[in-house]
Parts: sequence; C-alpha cells; structure tokens
Amino acid sequence: MKILGRNKLITPVIIQTLKTHPVILALIALLVIFSGLYPERFLTPLNFKTILRQFVTLTLFALGPSIVVVTGSLDLSYVGIWMLGGILVWLLMPILGMFSILVIPLLGLGTGLLIGVIQVKAKIPSFILTLSLLVTYSGLTATLSGGYPRSVRGYEFITATLIPYLLTAFLWSIPIIIVAVFIMKRTRIGTYLYAIGSNEEGARLAGINVDKYKILAFTLSGLFTGIGSIILYQHLGGSAPVELNLMTVVWPLVAIVLGGTPLIGGSGGPQRTILGALTFTVFYRGLYLSLLHPEMIQLLVGLLLIVSIVVSARGLKGVTIT
Amino acid sequence: MVTQMDASLVEVRGVSKTFDGVVRALDDVSIEARRNEIVGVVGENGAGKSTLMKILVGLYPPDKGELYYRGRRVPFPKNPKEAAKRGISIVYQEKGVISSLKVYQFLLLGHEDKYVKFSRLQIDKMKKHAREILEELHVKCDAEDFMYEPALSTQKMVEIARAILSVRLECGDDDITPIIILDEPTAPLTVEERRELFSDILNMKKNVSFIFVSHIIPEVMEFTDRVHVLRDGKLVAHYDLSEEKITEEDLFRAIVGRESSEYIYKPEVKRVVSEEVVLTVKNLTKNGCYYDISFDLHKGECIGIFGPAGSGKSEIIKTIAGLISFEGGVLIIRGQKVKADELPHVRLGRGIGYFSGETGKELFLNWPIVKNISIVNIEKILRKLIPVISFNAEKKMAEKIVQRMRISAPSVNTDCYSLSGGSKQKVSVGKWFERSPDIFLLEDPTIGIDVGAREDIYETTLEMNKNGTSMILVSDDPKEYSILCDKIMFVKDGRIQKVLSPEKFRKVMAT
Repeated sequence: MKILGRNKLITPVIIQTLKTHPVILALIALLVIFSGLYPERFLTPLNFKTILRQFVTLTLFALGPSIVVVTGSLDLSYVGIWMLGGILVWLLMPILGMFSILVIPLLGLGTGLLIGVIQVKAKIPSFILTLSLLVTYSGLTATLSGGYPRSVRGYEFITATLIPYLLTAFLWSIPIIIVAVFIMKRTRIGTYLYAIGSNEEGARLAGINVDKYKILAFTLSGLFTGIGSIILYQHLGGSAPVELNLMTVVWPLVAIVLGGTPLIGGSGGPQRTILGALTFTVFYRGLYLSLLHPEMIQLLVGLLLIVSIVVSARGLKGVTIT
Repeated sequence: MVTQMDASLVEVRGVSKTFDGVVRALDDVSIEARRNEIVGVVGENGAGKSTLMKILVGLYPPDKGELYYRGRRVPFPKNPKEAAKRGISIVYQEKGVISSLKVYQFLLLGHEDKYVKFSRLQIDKMKKHAREILEELHVKCDAEDFMYEPALSTQKMVEIARAILSVRLECGDDDITPIIILDEPTAPLTVEERRELFSDILNMKKNVSFIFVSHIIPEVMEFTDRVHVLRDGKLVAHYDLSEEKITEEDLFRAIVGRESSEYIYKPEVKRVVSEEVVLTVKNLTKNGCYYDISFDLHKGECIGIFGPAGSGKSEIIKTIAGLISFEGGVLIIRGQKVKADELPHVRLGRGIGYFSGETGKELFLNWPIVKNISIVNIEKILRKLIPVISFNAEKKMAEKIVQRMRISAPSVNTDCYSLSGGSKQKVSVGKWFERSPDIFLLEDPTIGIDVGAREDIYETTLEMNKNGTSMILVSDDPKEYSILCDKIMFVKDGRIQKVLSPEKFRKVMAT
C-alpha cells in the first residue's frame, strides 16, 4: 500500500471502530471527566496501578462468560468456580502438593461441561441453572472451609514481578485474552457459536450440531474462568473468599454488557468485554475517588447495568461482527 | 341517502414518503378505493406497497399528501385505532393470528371495554356477538374453537372478520362499509385454500371494500376490479379490468418494467439424468403425517412433491432433511441405510442440504453477507496448516456468489437485515450453491419474493442441477414444479396418488 493511501484510510477506520465500539467514546469521556474534576487524585501512578489491578480481575472473570453470552445463554457460575476451587486447593494441598492448584481449571472445565449437558438435555434457562449452581458451590465452599478463608502459601511465583512496574497478573492475562479472542474470531468454533446466538434455527438448518456447540460454549467458559481463577487466587493473596459477594457476580456482567455484547447473543464477544471491563473499572475508580458513599456507588453501578442492557438490546441491529 | 356504486370511499392524493432522508419509498402516489370493489395494489418487493398501506393505517406519517374519506378531506390517521374510525383496517401477511386464544377472544381483542359490566367481562355476550359476525360473514368455525384449530384460510377469514368488526366498533355503526386492506393474504396458503378464501371474499364484496396487495399476477387478474401498479415508489399504471383488455403479460411488464425472460411461462429445457441412484425412500411412514412413501432419486434429477397443505409433503422433505424423524420404512442415502432420528448436521455430512424460503429462518440477519455465505462452507476457507479462517478466501468466495446471484448490495460486508427480501433469499440460496450438496432439498424456495429474484434463483438451482446435484422440491406454486422438476409426485392425505411428467402436470394444472 502506498503511504498516500494509508493516510486517507486512517479517518474512516477510526470512524468505523467508534461505530462498532461506541463504548470507546464513553471510556474517553470518563477519563476526561475524572481527570478534569480531581486530577490530583485521579491522575496518580497509584490510581492507574489500581485500575490495572481491578481491570485484570474483572477481565479474567468476564472473559469466559462472554463466550456463553454470545450464544444467547448466560453463565453466572464463575464466582462459584473461583470460591470452591480456592478451598479445594487448600483441602488437596496435603495430598497433591504443588499440583493442587490445577484443581481450579479442572473444576472449571468439569463445571462448564456439567452445566452445558444439563442445559442442553433438560432445556432449562441457563440463568436459573447457573445461579442455582453458584449458590450450591458457595454453600459447599462454606461447609468445606468451616466459614473461614483458608490461605495457602507457595504459589507466590505466579504473581512475582517479572517486569518492573508491570503487574504480573496483567502479563498472564494477555495470552488468555488473545486465545479467547482468537477462538471466537478465527476458528470454526467461534463462528458456530455466533451463529447459534444469532439464529438458532438457522444454525440448525446450516448443519451445525447446536447441542454440541452449546455444551462446548459452557465448557470453554468454565475452562477460561478456571485458568483465570489460578491467577486471581494468587493475585488476591493465596486464597479465595468463602462468602458470596453479590458485587463480584454483578460486575463482570456489567463489563460484558457495557462492552457491547447483547444478552440475546449473536454479536459482541471477548474483545468487547475487555473494553467493557476497562470502561467499568475507570468508571468505578472515578466514583470511588469522588468521596461518594459506597452505597451511592452501588446504586450507580446498578443504573449503569440497566442502561447498558437497554442500549445493547436496542443497538443490536447496528452492531457488526467481522 | 343514495350512494352510487362507484363512489370513492377512500382516496389518497400525492403521497410521498422518504426514509432517513435518503430512500424515497413513495413519490407522489395517488390511489382510491371505491364502494363495493376489490382494488389491487401490485408491485415487486420494495416497490412501496407496504409503506403506502402503513401510511393508510397510521403506522407511518406521510411527508406529503392528502387523504379523502367519502369525499371530505381528513387528516391522516396517527394510529390503527384512528384509521379504524375512518373505516380502514388491515389484515397482515403473517403473524396476525394469536393461536392460543379462542376465536371469540381473538375477534374482540382490544374491544373488551365494550363488554364490561360491574368490572367483569360478559363472556356470554362476547361469544354471542362473535357468533353473530361469524355467521354473517359465513366463516366456517365456532366462536369457542381455538385459533389454531380451523384451516389456514378460515383463520384468514377470522382475521378479516376481526378487521371488519374493529371498524364497526370504532365507528359505532354496524352499517358502515369498511375498507379492508389485505396484505398478501395468500402467501401462506395452498392453491385450494386460496380459491376458498377468494370465494369467501367475493361473497363479502357487497358490504365491504377491499384493497388487495399482492404480487401474484393471476390472482390479481382474476379477483380485482381495478389495479394500481407501483414501481420504485411511483404509480406507473392504473387499469380498470372491467373495461380494458389486459393480459397477464401486460401486467407483468408494468410491474417489473421489462420483458419476462424465458424462465417464466415457458417450459424448461430437458436435462440428462444419470442412472445412479443417490437417495432411496422405501415405504417411509410417519403416523399422522405420511404413509408408504417410496421413490428413487437419481443423480442430477429433480423430483417435486406436490399437494395441498397438510398433505404431508412438507413433513416428507423435512424428514429427509433430518428435522423430523420417521417411524417406519427405510431411507437409503448414497447406498447407506440411515437411522430415523439423525439430526440435520449428520444428514449434511451425508451430502444433504436443506433450504427453506421462509424469510428469517435461514439467515443470520445481524451478520454481513460474507459470513452468511461462509457458514456452510467453512471447510473451504480454513488455512491448510492450522485450521484458521482465512478472511481473504472468505471474502473472495462471497464476492463470487454475490456476482453470480446478482445480489444488489453495496459490498459483501453489508449486514443482511438491510437487504431486500429477494436479495436475502439469494444469499441463502447462494451459500448452498457454493457448497453444492449431493442432494438439495428446497421448500418454498421463492415464497414472498418478486419475479426478478425468482428468475435468478431458478437459474441458479437449474445450474446446480446441471452440475450433478439432485433436488427435491416442495412448494405451493405449481409453476415452480413445471420449471424445475423432471418428475412430479402428487401427494394427498399422506400418500402418493400418482406420478406425473412435467408436461402432464402442466396439463392437469391448466384444467
């Protein structure tokens, strides 16, 4: 391509990007607003480090479920996998030693497979199914742990600093993100999952084994959550909580929907979820530094979820996937 | 008050409508509906018929234009309720029926407030009123039937009764002459059901005026008194069929603005059918749907399964596609006996592709054309070393199909929801053309699309046929069988009655 031609191309590309990812505008607006209102608190290295930390946490939780959301279903089991996985590591430590950390991704894989099979065979709404499973897992966690967080030492290497000033958890999350986006965008699996979310009947008529790919979507979701949970496990200090916190369930949902993956499926996906997670983190940090009451922030988070669901549902037609 | 036979009941003058300031849907269109007549509004898809009707019932406001009701100028209605006050109501092409309601509930839906006494619905009074109107219009069903129970043509009649009733109730006058818009009323019906519906409509002519929106030329010729022809948002012709001598060809030319090509109205050139059998159906039975169906499909052959709705033709083709299972008999695909409950993806693996013309069923509307074409052809665009989709190959493949099928779209990245009905159908057929399955099943391949798009689809399927794809056709349009098929099986009550050659079939149909 000639250099002259390239210059001409830049503006339409930017416009196209903004059109398909309107959340970028929201992100820029938030950054401008918060840095304008209280630069002394917002524009600090510490704050950006915190933003990155929370972004990583949120992304690792939201990445897997966003694959399921693409197919038009919902997977809320992620926090359950994280909690139960954490306590299983502690329980199995005496037997398996260092390998016990691998129980988390295995639990994720198994959970995803189980949800997928039940959902496909029993044909029940995935929302209720995964919510029930989340409650079951949190109950199981509380029982096994005796109600106290149990921390395990020895996995500090996972989050040990590799590059100064760069969060190691963030470095780990990069390949995970790339793999997720790659699967959804460039492979047959991804294409079929989008097809199921866009028009399930059409997918069936196009000769896609809808049941198999739905199970696969849940399995992938569980696996990604499991792998992410390893990093989160050490990222948050070598243990997982034993009490279910509603916010940890809701935030990833906000990130998915805010990023532009409509809950009815068929478009969006992991690459948008990253943007959604970043935007939400900036939004949350900005409010956190504003000296508003935490209750007030929770209220605003709820409103943001409602607004983004409405917008993503209405804007479905204009949303393109390539 | 004396009213003349041809007094103008409703008239619109100089209506224009632009969407988003770009697409000119209607340009200075004037039509009128007179007392006791059926007036046709015809045109290809996208000619502006629907937009005009939506303006008449108050769903869109026009940019410009005047509305006259019984000779007096009135403002355009703002919603269907206001339209009913001016005597206008509409029966939609599809999705008008709520099948879980009983007939009387459906008839009076939205008018319950007129049957409330002490904040309680007077069910008996509603049923009585519903029975009266059903009897008056000779609708053959009971007020307490569920809406899904009567035949499709009767369901349409109930919808028409409902439209008439809403005009009467809104105007508070039982002797008013309603103007009922019928938007492609025959689209889901079979030939016999159409005849029945039309004889019922003709019976009602003395009390009701109809605006009949359609693109099926013979129907329009037979049943309307006058015809308005729309093309690209303009009124291009107006014929008074009782005075002028118009042929089907004349009307066709007015609608499409060009001569009809060789595919329409002309028998097709013979193809060579090889001896090789690709599909054997032996005594196939599904109780309640079809019984003892047996036939052989040869390579390069096209068999039509013809019959009225409910004859089992649709179930037979769906069984072969793997969408429903069979209970008895044998199905042999390319020499292999297959299980009864195989799913469509397994059948596709055996070389069977199924295409249904029902809009929206096949396509991924929020996807661009390119993805809709590659969805059944992913193997072809995967890279050799690692199975990754090559966007380049994908785009080239789609561009080839778009050109081949003459799909009118700015680019292959255009989202499918923005395409016209005909182009959507062409994308659906195009992906199967690229895939070229051994056996291609077509169900109503050209339902609801215009003449030009039909020709392109026939041409494509005939080319697939020539390249060795065997086909089975199920349709409601007899002409389609004589264009595409080598052999037509006549099915009734789930059994094959007789097997006809295309020539014989044409003769049977002509009588």
